[in-house]
Amino acid sequence: MSATLEHVLRGEREFAPGTGAIPLARLGLTLALCGGAHGLALGFFALRGEQAFYSGLKVPLLLALSTALCCPSFYALNAVLGLRQDFSAALRGVLCAQAVVAVVLASFVPVVVFFQASGVSYRGAVLLDGMLFLAASLAGQWTLARHYRPLVARNRRHLVPRTAWLVLYWFVTIQLAWVLRPFVGAPGLSPSFLRPNAWSNAYVVLARTVFGA
Amino acid sequence: MAQLLTAADGLLRGRWRAKEELGAGRISTSASLLAAIGMAAGAIYGCSMGLYGLLRPGHATWKQVLADAAKVPLLFLLTLVVAFPSLYAFSALANSKLRFGDTLKLLLVAVAVNLVLLASFAPVTAFFTVSTNSYPFMVLLNCVFFGLSGAIGLGILRRALREVFASDSLGRCPDPAPAGADVETVRRAEAARAEWARARSEGNRPRRIFAAWFAIYGLVGSQMGWILRPFIGSPGLEFQLFRQREGSFFEGFFRALGQFLLGQ
Repeated sequence: MSATLEHVLRGEREFAPGTGAIPLARLGLTLALCGGAHGLALGFFALRGEQAFYSGLKVPLLLALSTALCCPSFYALNAVLGLRQDFSAALRGVLCAQAVVAVVLASFVPVVVFFQASGVSYRGAVLLDGMLFLAASLAGQWTLARHYRPLVARNRRHLVPRTAWLVLYWFVTIQLAWVLRPFVGAPGLSPSFLRPNAWSNAYVVLARTVFGA
Repeated sequence: MAQLLTAADGLLRGRWRAKEELGAGRISTSASLLAAIGMAAGAIYGCSMGLYGLLRPGHATWKQVLADAAKVPLLFLLTLVVAFPSLYAFSALANSKLRFGDTLKLLLVAVAVNLVLLASFAPVTAFFTVSTNSYPFMVLLNCVFFGLSGAIGLGILRRALREVFASDSLGRCPDPAPAGADVETVRRAEAARAEWARARSEGNRPRRIFAAWFAIYGLVGSQMGWILRPFIGSPGLEFQLFRQREGSFFEGFFRALGQFLLGQ
């Protein structure tokens, strides 16, 4: 397993940029185990096993669902731009990037556990989690850039779907993370898979908070 | 002891930093020796830091000396234990030639150099401790010494990373093919430009790894310092091995900043 994680991070062997068969099973397993480990650590904030279990399921779900929701538009844009023949290599890049996000999140598990054990407040834990997700996402973008480099060298038009992917992916992931909250679990609330008011809009809530409407 | 001193001297002189070894992603020194140097050097500085507790009026105690002799090296080494998985993940992500063991050794080198430099300030800290009873002055003096030794340790780490990723000078980006050139010329020109872009991106890798390492190690190290406090020991307070476990370094920092700015 550790060798697979190393290959995922380094973009070697079956995870290297290119057009070969996508190792879906290995990528899926990496995403489930590594994302699950990070979720478990997050949910243990108030030492509640139930919340840890839910968060262990939700982090891989967040990564997998956000990718699945954005893939159809990504395919359509590639096809419209005449890049259909390179779609397999582009999709490989996107999936490897998601696996890297999961591996980097798993590598942060000791940091999460350490901060929680040192008595950080709930707001501090949520803020830390946000920062770690951001760092893992940037690591994913690094991987995506590595996969896209030969494609862009061949045809600069590939920059369009790559940029579109980033915008759409962030847009969808923020809303999905909002729907799937809580990940850390506020100490005053009972553990739950979703909050009672889960199906609201993160952007509307943000706008109301900022503009006080 | 003599072996430790010789090894520490070799570290400061950069004997571990043979260019060919670093270029091949190898660090030719032992991890246990580096950890031993770090523990010994940290303990020396810890003793000088804890001297304030031994001499402070009212609640003088030798326990502060012993506590700091353990806490100073632990601050650095425990931070490395917590942060290492993520530090290695970012190194592997950049396709570093350093494998698991060599990455650990490189980070231990930086920590050991940092602690050896800190130990070299121990006589100065001890001298000021016996010649002043100003607590804020001692806090500031220790901050300066930690900052100085940390900056030098980071500089060595950055230079080592550059050597690990060393590549030939890039030169300027090749020109695109002239208008009206044949397909083969255009293809070659595009390939040369793509190769140049790839090499430029690779050249940024040490800077990116260094930034990621700095951020992660700094984040964990700040919190580790927070939970291991007190290091000097406020005058007028009884000796405590650890203060009450609450909040984080950043919450404490912003609370103190707010109180300072709002004058509360």
